[in-house]
Amino acid sequence: MDKRLRNALQQLTASDTESRRRAMEPFVRATFAMFIRHLHRYLGNEVECEDVLEDVYADIWENPSHLRDIEDERRLLKTVYLYYMRKRLREVYRRLNRRAYLSQADLQSLTAPDLGLCDLVSQEELKQLLHKMLGKLKARERRAIELWMEGMSNRAIANQLGTTVGAVKMLEFRTILKLREMLKEYSRESGGED
Amino acid sequence: MPSTHREIQELLADYASALRDGSLPTFLKSLTREEALRIHESQDFWEATEVVRLMNSVGFGDKLVTPDVGLFISRVDAGIASRMKKAHASTRDPSRSHVNLHREFEPQ
Repeated sequence: MDKRLRNALQQLTASDTESRRRAMEPFVRATFAMFIRHLHRYLGNEVECEDVLEDVYADIWENPSHLRDIEDERRLLKTVYLYYMRKRLREVYRRLNRRAYLSQADLQSLTAPDLGLCDLVSQEELKQLLHKMLGKLKARERRAIELWMEGMSNRAIANQLGTTVGAVKMLEFRTILKLREMLKEYSRESGGED
Repeated sequence: MPSTHREIQELLADYASALRDGSLPTFLKSLTREEALRIHESQDFWEATEVVRLMNSVGFGDKLVTPDVGLFISRVDAGIASRMKKAHASTRDPSRSHVNLHREFEPQ
């Protein structure tokens, strides 16, 4: 773990509130990019990610006990997600969903799920893994996913592939399930994530 | 006008686009009762959402505009200050504050 982050963590778990408050600045500087990127996976909206993260840091300041004895960044991210982020993520759309049909439990599974197979894999590892998996797909499947990841709409992808929007959605669905199987295989080979 | 009888593959594609475009509330509000039930019952949907999140992270995680972290730290600090104030207010002796209030409004 980065020395700066280790020092910030030590100060953060001090007993008095003022010391913890002073420790927040180096802690935020050392973790902001990692945490906001992780939150973005679940919300996909920068403004909401920042609002949630603001509350997460204040919660950490208030009760940093879960962060004692953490020795690496992966463990830190896991602990912060399980003890601080999830609680806040669950609240994001709770009010909105009172007027929607998805049950609260399903909404929670969608916005604050259990940690998945690769949720704690670093961004770089994840990029390499996805690149490897895309290489195993058929050309048309790979193209559909690549275009999606470039930010194209399903209609634009359909135009590119010379097919209908419905066919693109089906193609994406089947391809994503294929990728999911590859992820499971990867997880088995690497001995599972935590 | 979006379809109100979307099959599970359409629902997943719409969820994926909503997550990518930062418009999950629109997707949630668009769901009909039947579609919500279809999602609830589909193991494939739930398994696929994990891959969608990873694709979203790889494709767009690095494109996040890094805001002014200093400004963000000020927001966090203001939040902490507010919580400290609330905690301080709630631990104050209520009888004392009552006395103070009473004195303050005593007629001269």
